[in-house]
Amino acid sequence: MSDNINQVSVEEGVTPATISASELGSDGLLNKRKKVSLDARKARAGYIFVLPFILGVVLIYLPILLDSVWFSLTERNTNDPFNIVYKFVWFDYYVKAFTDNANFVSNLIAGIQQLIFEVPAVIIFSLFIAVVLNQKMLGRAAFRAIFFLPVIVSTGIMETINAADFMSSQTQAGINDGSGGGGTNEIISALDVERLFSSMKVGGELVTYVVNIVNDVYNIINYSGVQMLIFLAGLQSISPSIYEACRIDGATGWETFWKVTFPMISPMILVNAVYTIIDAFTRTQNPVIKYINTITDQSSSTAMSWSYFVIIILIIAAVAAIASTFIFYQRRD
Amino acid sequence: MATVTKETKNSIHVDYEGKLTFKERMISKLKTANTWIKVVINIFRFILMLGVSYVILYPFFSRIAGSFMSKEDVVDSTVALIPKNFTLDIYKYIIVENHYFEALWNTLLISLMCAIVQTLISCLIGYGLAKFKFKGNKIVMAIVVVTMVIPHNTLSIAMRQHFSGFDLFAVKAWGLPGPIELLFGSPLELTHTPIPLLLLSLSGLAFKNGLYIYLMRQFFKGVPDELEESAYVDGSGVFRTFFQIILPLSVPMMITVFLFSFSWQWTDEFYTRMIWGTGSEFYLMPDIYANPPTSLYKFKDYAGWSLYKIVIQNTAGMLIIAPLIILYLFCQKYLVQGIERSGLVG
Repeated sequence: MSDNINQVSVEEGVTPATISASELGSDGLLNKRKKVSLDARKARAGYIFVLPFILGVVLIYLPILLDSVWFSLTERNTNDPFNIVYKFVWFDYYVKAFTDNANFVSNLIAGIQQLIFEVPAVIIFSLFIAVVLNQKMLGRAAFRAIFFLPVIVSTGIMETINAADFMSSQTQAGINDGSGGGGTNEIISALDVERLFSSMKVGGELVTYVVNIVNDVYNIINYSGVQMLIFLAGLQSISPSIYEACRIDGATGWETFWKVTFPMISPMILVNAVYTIIDAFTRTQNPVIKYINTITDQSSSTAMSWSYFVIIILIIAAVAAIASTFIFYQRRD
Repeated sequence: MATVTKETKNSIHVDYEGKLTFKERMISKLKTANTWIKVVINIFRFILMLGVSYVILYPFFSRIAGSFMSKEDVVDSTVALIPKNFTLDIYKYIIVENHYFEALWNTLLISLMCAIVQTLISCLIGYGLAKFKFKGNKIVMAIVVVTMVIPHNTLSIAMRQHFSGFDLFAVKAWGLPGPIELLFGSPLELTHTPIPLLLLSLSGLAFKNGLYIYLMRQFFKGVPDELEESAYVDGSGVFRTFFQIILPLSVPMMITVFLFSFSWQWTDEFYTRMIWGTGSEFYLMPDIYANPPTSLYKFKDYAGWSLYKIVIQNTAGMLIIAPLIILYLFCQKYLVQGIERSGLVG
């Protein structure tokens, strides 16, 4: 019998002698060499998967990027249209954008103010709606369909159309024009709210903030579609057994939200905050983008947009740093 | 004494002494405060949702109503939503004079091409970033985020120049010829063709592609590794595993990304303007909106022209998004499903 077994192993071509000679490394670990090669193979496959992106960045995107930076650092002399001369001027146009150009700075401040107002409003609103849409309720499917409609139809050219519509309904306030005011006429006036808040002894800033949000509710709803989707996805990934445990322990809905839902959803809050900032900054209706579009001089417009980009990155970094103090990552092992 | 009256697979009806009838049970339930609080909360929630839905839908209704109005109705303050002089003039002139169907066809082709390519490419890149640990994985992800953050306007001038004389890896400022110029003698003229959009889509750099890559990456992170491992053990290669096992799994998410990329390309103004410029013969959706049709523009001295112009523009906007709304009605179920099943993790 034992002869038979030996013969089988010889037929397979693997004798005990060859294993010890070739497969065992100097440190005597069997699978080590094989495992490394598998990892290397997987890494290579990973490169192939992201290759289109890397190629695109290196061959197309990076040259465009470098040229754009180059434009912002040079002065373009177009006296002779057949021989355009570029003169390297370092950061002159950047300095000019901030010192000579009052409009740029004021638009920048307006843009950042709008952002400070918009980001918390969008995040709170979309989180609230996502939590409600996650519950079982009458007509949930229909409400979901309606709420995600702006994601599909309120971008690009529609933003411009909405803005024009909004402007007209603002200037024509009082005339019932029937031209599609967009439901954007002032819903409440600051006076009413002030009367309401005066007895509560809160500051005027809060009053204007609340009034702005209510009057801007159409835009806020339009801007929070993707955020709603991301929050909804986050809510779906929370295990129902956690909620069950909460119910058994007698926690109220309020407690469950703050002790379970909020920590579990907090990574999504960061994602959405970053997304909202990017979205608000790169949108065509942003005051800074609108202003930069009006500038015809190539050097100053690119210099402005690059300094604008640096400011965005700084703000995103600051938001990420603030958010990382309260974000809770669930261990998934 | 309890006796079983009816027994099915899932429930047992038991009769016992002092058992309340259905009616009695309902009455006792109604007497507790908890039920009433629940009812009030439900009603409040429903009304709130209804209100927000109204804010979203009202502009659509009012714009559709406005589109049937004659120019007298627009300034008539007694006309609210229902027009007095019903007319289809605005539609007629936009469709005929602004080349609506031509624009529809062109936009459909471009959006379809971009959406299909972008969906597949962001699938590939997202999968590579989610499942493979290679050197520079995090750097590539960081670059994806950076491409999202850079405002398009920053690059628009340089981009137009690059695509009007297209070459690979050629920085114009250096003045050195790229490989295409060396091979064919001159760089390629790609403006007025959809090729720049295709190139950008193929490399995952087009409009908002960073978001799609991120969504796909998060989705693939939620797919258990065991699935691929078992496929590898069975002798399937990395790519076969991807195409035969992973791709079919990710169809709901792909529909979501497709819907996003299709509709955002559809309403995109920036890239098409950059490539085709204004007033080109290749009509696209933004051209519908850009200028009022000439037969209506002759009313520009009319007292209510500024209002009428807004109505015309709104009608053009409705015509632009009409196909998208039809598409959305069919796909909205998958949109929510795709996101729900994705189990996005931070």
